Parts: sequence; structure tokens; C-alpha cells
Amino acid sequence: MPGPLDGVRVFDLTLWMVGPWASTQLGALGADVIHIEQPSVDPRTLGAGVPPTINGTSIGYMTWNQNKRGLFLDLKSPADRQTAYELLQTCDVFLINMRPGAAERMGVGYEQVKAVNPDIIYTAITGWGEVGPMRDKPGADVQAQYFTGFWSVSGAEGGRPEVYRHMAQIDATTGNVAAQAVLMGLLARKRTGKGQRIHVGMLRAGMALQSGRLAEYLSTAELHQPQGSAAFATAPDQAFQCQWGDWIGVSVTSEDEWQRFAAVMRESEAEVDGIDHLATDPRWGSNRDRVARRSELAAMLQAGFLQRPRHYWMLRLSAAGIPCGYPISFETLQHHAQALENAYLREVETSGWGKVWTGGAPWELSRTPARWFGACLPGEHTGEILDELAVRRASADEPVAVIGD
Amino acid sequence: MPGPLAGYRVVEIAEGVAGPYTAMSLADAGADVVKIEPPQGDRSRAWSPSIDGGDSPLFQALNRNKRSVLLDWSSDDDLGVARRLLAQADVAVVDKSGLPPELGWERLDAPGLVYCAISGFGPKGPWADRPASEVGAQMASEATSSLGALGEEPVRHGSDIGSVFAANHAIQAICAALFARDDSNPSNPTGGQRVEVSLFGSLIAMRSTLWVALSNPDEWWGFHLDSYVKPPDHGYQCRDLPIYFSLARIRGDAFDSLIDELDMSWVRDHPEYEKLRTDGAGGAGRYAAELAPVWERGFASFDSEQVIEIVERHGGWAFPMHDYERLSRDPQVEAVGAIIDVEQGDGTTMRQIAPPWDFEGTPVSMTMRPAPALGEHQSEVLSEMELLP
Repeated sequence: MPGPLDGVRVFDLTLWMVGPWASTQLGALGADVIHIEQPSVDPRTLGAGVPPTINGTSIGYMTWNQNKRGLFLDLKSPADRQTAYELLQTCDVFLINMRPGAAERMGVGYEQVKAVNPDIIYTAITGWGEVGPMRDKPGADVQAQYFTGFWSVSGAEGGRPEVYRHMAQIDATTGNVAAQAVLMGLLARKRTGKGQRIHVGMLRAGMALQSGRLAEYLSTAELHQPQGSAAFATAPDQAFQCQWGDWIGVSVTSEDEWQRFAAVMRESEAEVDGIDHLATDPRWGSNRDRVARRSELAAMLQAGFLQRPRHYWMLRLSAAGIPCGYPISFETLQHHAQALENAYLREVETSGWGKVWTGGAPWELSRTPARWFGACLPGEHTGEILDELAVRRASADEPVAVIGD
Repeated sequence: MPGPLAGYRVVEIAEGVAGPYTAMSLADAGADVVKIEPPQGDRSRAWSPSIDGGDSPLFQALNRNKRSVLLDWSSDDDLGVARRLLAQADVAVVDKSGLPPELGWERLDAPGLVYCAISGFGPKGPWADRPASEVGAQMASEATSSLGALGEEPVRHGSDIGSVFAANHAIQAICAALFARDDSNPSNPTGGQRVEVSLFGSLIAMRSTLWVALSNPDEWWGFHLDSYVKPPDHGYQCRDLPIYFSLARIRGDAFDSLIDELDMSWVRDHPEYEKLRTDGAGGAGRYAAELAPVWERGFASFDSEQVIEIVERHGGWAFPMHDYERLSRDPQVEAVGAIIDVEQGDGTTMRQIAPPWDFEGTPVSMTMRPAPALGEHQSEVLSEMELLP
């Protein structure tokens, strides 16, 4: 079965990460994504030059341009711009992440593209938005992490908040949000029969990602203080160290789970005062009671967890239906049945960089399965795509109109 | 004007963050969402904090624009109601917190339904039946290795990233499946289908750049590789507030001028001065972690706004590190309308985060209905159900 977006074509005028991530998702869902690069592109600038490289190319490029075909177009050249307009007539989606105004200067602003293809779902992605004092500032993941407070809610208990040391989460979140917007635009087009322009910015996408924490702050005016592995809204909901020194993450988020958790702790016969009657102890009567006295409860439970190995706790807690997990590193994950059977991690062939490991499609669709294939080289499919356009031109009933700027 | 998903009917049987966030986004985009809750209500109603003992702010924020129906799975009648609501819906959003087997995808008679199940670890594999947990999924996907220090207690990301990543993926898959359903050839309809996403799989997908970096790098350097071993990164404290900055294009004379303006001429005698000049700052700086204290010594004499101005004027970039308080009153946040007022049933107003998309042709209404009380729309939804085929 083809993917759910089979037959949808995307004109992918994106660079760095946020835009390319959006179109990678659409490609995985079956759309024919045509990724545009300048023929004169310096290979060292691909993927924003983010280190490390494989065979000299940034791993950024080869992560963010999977599930696509590569086309060289120089939008400053009149001939190539004509090709772009011709190609745009065959596209359903136009995707761009450049600063406000850049598209118009290249002849592919919304009005210009709409003149060529009024049904197009035209999606522009910016860093900070299309209005406001920061609209012209460059926006990248790191800046958005600092600016949106994404760094401010994590850290060791009692310490300063700390930055998440993997610089891609707001970029990828914004890319995902843009892909959602494209899909919603395609659905709306079925109803209205009309294309439209859509905008998504990193600032709002990064804030939406934090909707729960931000709602808590906006309601109480109290800033969250770092508290290690522990949740803010629920308790006990954190990591505990077990007998051999390793860690287990345990989440109790409902009263029903609390009752079952209390039974597991009682049956462990751990020698800690009070651990045998958690369920009836009025100090822990409700989630809000437990959150209010989180440190006291955690200290008591920690003393219990230290008395049995992690494997014991995983068995007992899982049997009781209590959510739990433990840290797994990449070397283990890449052989781990849970990651591989769901194809969450996979190794793919690439055209220029050998086999690489990558995250796979995060969805399973039972009737229209997603697909995943390695990144294209810049311009790799230029000949093939131009040939397709030539065939279309030859079979057109009327001559394809030459379109002015 | 209705949003892009106007006309679609969604039934949510989910609690906490991932499922409710998914359905909230569909509701924001114009879909009609009915939230089915057990007699004790969605668990997140009772999460912390609470204003006057009411529902948690997280619950209120993730359940706006929905209608609530209370159903008890120990009642056959209520199971029948749920089956009928699902058969009339375009989309189901379910998680495994107490979902009865009778409402599993394979047991429903709803050929056009897009049935999205959100789990902790995915539909296949040895952990398929394990319940979902934010901290468990963050640990198992090694997301916690990007925080804290080696050998210390794991640090979770304090925002519910695993759950919201899963929700973002669920929204994509649901919309794509609706597209396939409504796009197919009438003689060979695709129909509805089952869609699965998980917290674990979503966190792994979001770390893809790291997996590619770990495949076979030419050289072992860059934050994608050494973020595991770096110490906690607190940014750069100025006299008043922390900032983050990168030297970017600051080289040669510009660097000298930067050092002079920051009254840091003493740094020229620092043993690591050459590293500082070339690669000594910013998230991607090779030596940023070890040299942060050097910059902080200089920045201690300036306010953050001054440092930002000086760095930018020299060709670098610098940003304030906002906490939620500073974020919530930033002029840019106001200009883009990222925080909206949602009027509650009792006449008070709650501030929440706006949906992240702007649709010029089918605008999303920023006038939101508040999260429902438990079972608030029971009779309204059930009488509508009777009228539908």
C-alpha cells in the first residue's frame, strides 16, 4: 500500500533544520518531496555545517533531508525560475523557511506562487514570527531554547536550571508543527476547494510545546525550580536508585496507581518505617498531598528502593501496571528489540555517506504505511525531475504558458 | 470563519498529557471533540498545583474547546454509548489508561474511523503492554543523557517532552490518515485505519540528528557527540541575568575590540586564550564548557542587555535566557499573540498558550471555550448521538 500522502507533491525550498524536518515528515507519509538546492551550493554549508561530518558533509544535512528527491535550481536565473514555476504547477505544497521578505525577492512569495498555482498550500516557517520587534532576527534552535524558557525547568534538585544539551528539539518541534499545518491545510482544501497561505514560527511552536508548564506558571506566578528527575504535577514520579546502584524511573499519576504502588512497596518487605502502610497513611492521602511533601515521601521510598535490585522492581511494578523505565544508551538501543521491532531506529542506505543510523517513522499506520529512505545528494534527481516536466509539457493539450515574474 | 478541521468529529478516551494534547490541537483547529472520562475524571484534573482545589492548570490548558461525557466501563449501556460515539466519529484518540478491550480497534464496527492509539513504548516488541510514563520514556530513549552530570541522578526535561512529541506525531498521523481516507478512489476506498504512536518512539525520532552523528563520523567532535560528557550548561551569568551567546563571525580585530569593550583585557594572558578566540563560546563551541567561567568573570561587570548589545555589534549573536516570567512579558511574545486569554465558566480569565499555526484562509478562532467540568455535556452529546445515524 502507498503512504497516506501518495500523490501529494511538495516544493521544498528549505534549509538548515526546521523546514527540512517538516518535509522529511511529509516524505515519510508518502508525499513526493522535491528538495531544492542552489547548484553553486558549497557542500560545507549544507546542514548549516553542523559537526560532525560523514565524508565531509554535515550530519545535519543527511538527517534533515531524508525521504526526498534532490533538485538543483538557481532561482536567480530566469530560466531556472521558469522551471520552478512549471514545477510549482504540479505541486500541492510549497514550503519555505527563510526570513520575512526573502521569498518575494526570489520570485516565490505567496502572491507570485499563487499566480502560478492558486490551489497551493503555501507554508512559511519563521523563527520569531512575521510581526514584532524580532521578526527579522535569525532564529535557530539554540536561541529558541533560551528565549522560550525551555532551559528553565530542568536541572539537578537545588541547583541552577540547565540547558538541554541536544540542540534540535525546538527545531524539530517547529518542523512537526509545520507538517501538521500543511496536513490541516490539505484537509481544509478538500472542504473549501481553496489553497491558502500558512505560517508557523519557532517561538510559538516552542511555547506550545511547554503548554502545561506555562499554564502552571501563568496560573500561579510561581517559577518552577529544578528538581532532578521528579515531576512537578505528580508524586511519586521520579527516578530512584536501586540496590546495585542503577536507576529506575517510576510514575504514579492517579489514585488507582497509588494504591497498586503502595501494595508493591508493602510486599517488598523493605525495612523502612511506614513503607508498609503508604495507602492508609493520611500524609499521602491525595496526589496534591504527596506533591506538597514530595521530598519527605521520596526520601522514604528511596530507602526502600535501595534494598532490592532494579530487576526486582521492574518485575513487580510492571506486573502491577505501574509505569516504569530505566536509562538505555544508544549502543544498547540500536540492538534493542523495542526500538527495532517498531522501527523507531533503523539503518538506511544513503547516496553519499554509506549506511547511517537514524530515527525512523514515529507512526505506524495500519493501511497506508509510512516509508523511510536515506537522504538524497543535493541535486541528485535533477535529470529525472526535469525529464518528468518535459513529458508533462509534451503531453499538455495546450502549450504551457510562459509565466512572468 | 471555521478552522481547517471544521466538520470533523473526534472522540477522546485518554488522560494526562499526550492524548489530551492531541485532541486539544484538533479542537483548536476546528474539530468537534468529545472527551469521554471515567467516573473519577481524567487523572490530570487532580494534578498539582490547584487554585482553590479545582482542576489543575495543566488539565485546563490541555482540555479547552472540548465537551465532556462521563462513562463507566462497568456498565454495558455506557460501553454501548462509547461504541456508538466512536462509530459516528472520524477520529478516536485513545491511550491505554483503563481502555476496556471492547473498545479496541479490532472490536469496533467503524470502517471509516481513524483510530489513534498512544502508548508508552509502541505497539510491538517486548514492552508493548507497558504503561506510559514521561520519566520512564525519557530515560529509556536516553533523553536524560542530555541533562545532569555523568554518574549523578538522572535529570528529566521538566517539560513533558515525550508526551508532547508523541502528541505532535499523533496529530500528523491522524491528519494524514484522514487525508488518505477522504482522498481515495470511491470504488476502492482506503477507509479508516489504526494509527499508533508512542512516547518512546517519538523521543527517539526527535534525537535522529544524534543517531546519524553516531553512525560513522569523520572526526569525533561537535555537540552532537560530546553532549553526553559535558557538564551541566547554565548559560552565561551577567550582573543581572543569564544570557547565551556565540562568537559566530567575531574574528581578528573584531575579537580584540570585543574584549576591550567588555573590559576583559586580562584574558589575553589566559593560558587558553587561543581556544577562547577561535572556538570558545556558544552551544556549538568546542571549548565552550570549559571556558564559560572565563566569560562569566568578564560579564559580571555588565547587565545582560549591555553584553547582548556589545556582542551583536561585533558580529556575534546573543539572546536573553528567559524564565517563564520574563518570557510572559516579552514584547515579541505579545506581538505574535502567543499568550491568549481563555474565559472560564466562573467568569475568571485564564492565560494559556495559543495554537502554533496561522491559517490565512481558514483562521483558527482564538476565542476558546474553557475546559469542561466532568460530564458537563452529557445530555447534549447523547441527544445529538440519537439524532445521528
